[in-house]
Amino acid sequence: MARKRERLEVIKDILNAIRENKNIKPTRLLYASNLSPQMFKEYINELIEKKFINLDVGEEDKKTFSITKKGNEFLEEYRVIERFVENFGL
Amino acid sequence: MYPELYNFVAQNRDLFRFFYSILIAVICFIVFLKTDRLFRISSHQGIRYFRNAFFFYGIAFVLRYLLAKPIYFELMRLVFEFFMIMGGFFLFYSLLWKKFEGYKEISSLFNLKIAIFCILTGIIVVLDYLWEGYTFMFISQIILFGFASIISYKNYKSGGKQHKFLKLYFCVMILNFIAWTLNFIFSSFFGSRLRWLANVYVLNVIVFLIFLYGVIKVTKKDNKS
Repeated sequence: MARKRERLEVIKDILNAIRENKNIKPTRLLYASNLSPQMFKEYINELIEKKFINLDVGEEDKKTFSITKKGNEFLEEYRVIERFVENFGL
Repeated sequence: MYPELYNFVAQNRDLFRFFYSILIAVICFIVFLKTDRLFRISSHQGIRYFRNAFFFYGIAFVLRYLLAKPIYFELMRLVFEFFMIMGGFFLFYSLLWKKFEGYKEISSLFNLKIAIFCILTGIIVVLDYLWEGYTFMFISQIILFGFASIISYKNYKSGGKQHKFLKLYFCVMILNFIAWTLNFIFSSFFGSRLRWLANVYVLNVIVFLIFLYGVIKVTKKDNKS
């Protein structure tokens, strides 16, 4: 049985998918994130709220996601953050 | 055991109090700066509460140094106690927040749970002011670190093999619990004699140094836990 991903790991996976696929569409990101639509919505709202990603609306109401500077910083420091949270039981 | 050493410390009491307070304040601000950076990147509420704990402890120890001066002694004493107790609450809540909050980013100072801690702290400070001592602070912190020890023991049992600092973190919580208990006993039954309290000061320095060691070690970029 596959192990359940930790929250920080899910966030890392979403951000990585956005970084690797510039202007990724919501449906493609949903598949890439491997989450249920409900969970996906929650994570996306959280990431937008925390300014990790932007939701860009283009021509004909075309929605795409892009990663912010803060999101990139998170990916750079992901290992340190993960280790800190786990080692201090936060 | 070391009478000469105790006499030397007793003769230079203010100097030692100054260095003790400043040393812990400096440790707290280093921990604060390191964790503040991590919080700004991650927006993780647990890191935020942990960071706040050391900010409050840092302020408390700066104020503690000022307690050596007779001017505004009573006011400083109240403010010192407030920051000290709130530091304990923040550290305790950093272990518990997941059970009470979602992952939405909310203010770590202006939310209901923290408001409850503020009110409790206010009550403790007022009671100690009326009873002219620190008894209520000691009791509150002994209870708090008793529970924190249990929680950190559970964390260690569930993830201690992969994350080595969890074991040390549990030990730190136990040391904190012992330090507060000894502080209470020495202050209440031995008339705050320096001979006894010096042991608590040493224990406190060890506790904060372990925190600093843990934060530096864990936040090192190329390390693996």
